[in-house]
Amino acid sequence: MPDATLSPWTMSYFAVACVFLVIGQGLMAAGYGYPFAGVDAPETLALAHLLAIGWLGLLMIGALLQFVPVLIAAPLRAGRLAPSVLLLIVGGLLLLAGGFAALGGAEGLDGLSPGMLPLGAFLLVTGFGLAAAMLASTLLSARALPLPARFVGLGLAALTATILIGAAFAAVLSGIVASDLLATLLLHGVPFHAALGLGGWLSFTAIGVSYRLLPMFMLAPEKVSGAARTVWWTGATALVLVAASVAVVFLDAEAAKTLLALPLVLAFVAVSFYCVDLVRLYRERKRKVVELNIRASYAAFAALLAAVVLISIPATRAAAGEGAAALVYLFAFGWLTGLGLAQLYKIVPFLTWLECYGPILGRIAVPRVQDLVNEGRANFWFGLYYGAVTAATASLFAGSLPSFRVAVAAQLAATLGLMAELVRARRLSSVKGAGVPKPRLFLPLSRPQE
Amino acid sequence: MGEAANGALCEEIREALRMIIDPELGRNIVDLGLIYDVSVEDGGIAHVSMTTTTKGCPASQYLKEAVRNCVWYVPGVEYAEVRLTYEPAWTPEMMAD
Repeated sequence: MPDATLSPWTMSYFAVACVFLVIGQGLMAAGYGYPFAGVDAPETLALAHLLAIGWLGLLMIGALLQFVPVLIAAPLRAGRLAPSVLLLIVGGLLLLAGGFAALGGAEGLDGLSPGMLPLGAFLLVTGFGLAAAMLASTLLSARALPLPARFVGLGLAALTATILIGAAFAAVLSGIVASDLLATLLLHGVPFHAALGLGGWLSFTAIGVSYRLLPMFMLAPEKVSGAARTVWWTGATALVLVAASVAVVFLDAEAAKTLLALPLVLAFVAVSFYCVDLVRLYRERKRKVVELNIRASYAAFAALLAAVVLISIPATRAAAGEGAAALVYLFAFGWLTGLGLAQLYKIVPFLTWLECYGPILGRIAVPRVQDLVNEGRANFWFGLYYGAVTAATASLFAGSLPSFRVAVAAQLAATLGLMAELVRARRLSSVKGAGVPKPRLFLPLSRPQE
Repeated sequence: MGEAANGALCEEIREALRMIIDPELGRNIVDLGLIYDVSVEDGGIAHVSMTTTTKGCPASQYLKEAVRNCVWYVPGVEYAEVRLTYEPAWTPEMMAD
């Protein structure tokens, strides 16, 4: 029977993603983008895309290259495209960010120009398109898709829609396309672009993968519960409605915005059932001692619930600033980034273990995956991280720019601390005694699994 | 090989397999219930039926290879054949207390 193998490029995706997270948080701490500029200012758009594509997008693609084969117990299709996809996305993102910076007044600086936007969008459409094709064709090779894989499949569809809408925005912003229809989409379609990207692509996919990873790591029953089915149906319906509303934008933009209320209610229902299911999984787990990656993941789930509840209440949504920015921040950093960091803290040591100790297993005594990390230090960094995210969100609600910068600086420090822990795991720093050759830090596997 | 000797060799194989741990859970694969069956034919041909905690796990092939290597080094074993199966699927209830 064919099995999933180690994905040789996943670690490279993770490393590049981490660099973009540091750059994004560093820019915010330095006073770049929202709240130091408007939510629709070019600086904010540059920052948002560095984080959404550079950090979250690359993190998710890198993780899926490894986990989609696990979800369906089949090998990855066209895996040789992984390095090209990485280069296309990074190249496209840098051009896109440069184009936004030019729109923000940096035109002429080091050759920046709005003309970089469509070229960047072209590379991003190509890169994400190839990634979606690799992953979707792998999913389609399964005879029947288990529920977690269905979440990923719909997430990939949302990714495709997000990228295509974004490419249309880039074409209009750069001035290479003069179309009233696309201008209307640019004026009114940003909430749909954000909802499909953050809610559809990143969140729906993360929820799907979590339905496989959490039972694995906690030894909880892998049965598909009624709550999980409800999450699937309500979430999928919400996403289809958001996508359909994009078409309504061309007919009646205000009506399309009103239509967003229904997907929001459905998202609230989906997240509520998801949280109920997460509590069930935790209670039914056989592994009594819960490791740090799980504890940190549950903090991210709490942030998801808080963000969705608060955005569903008109008063808190209005108090969250332009475009509910404070709640979008909580969603992006508390939920998506928090979960991403928590899972990196498990996946990086796990893949490192397989790379270093898998080939000698059964010949000599080997350490556990858990022996590659030091939970005490990482526990502190995760605590600081979530405390800083809470403080930054509160600062945005209060409109306090100085305290926001301090909170983001603390968030950045925590992120760097966690990344240092990941490097220590890669370097096998916590493993005592003579061992095996250290793996490459982030370059592809030196010894691909056969 | 007599039945008693055969049983003793199977037990030796199980004992040897205790040095292999599941990397994530940190417990040996015998106590985790991942070894479904061990048998030895005349001539020292050992057959092991095993599973992993998760179907499709990237550690599966490493574990299978580790079991094959480990069994082969047990005195009295001339050849080792390992079969990875997910029928039945492993559940946490299969772990020894």
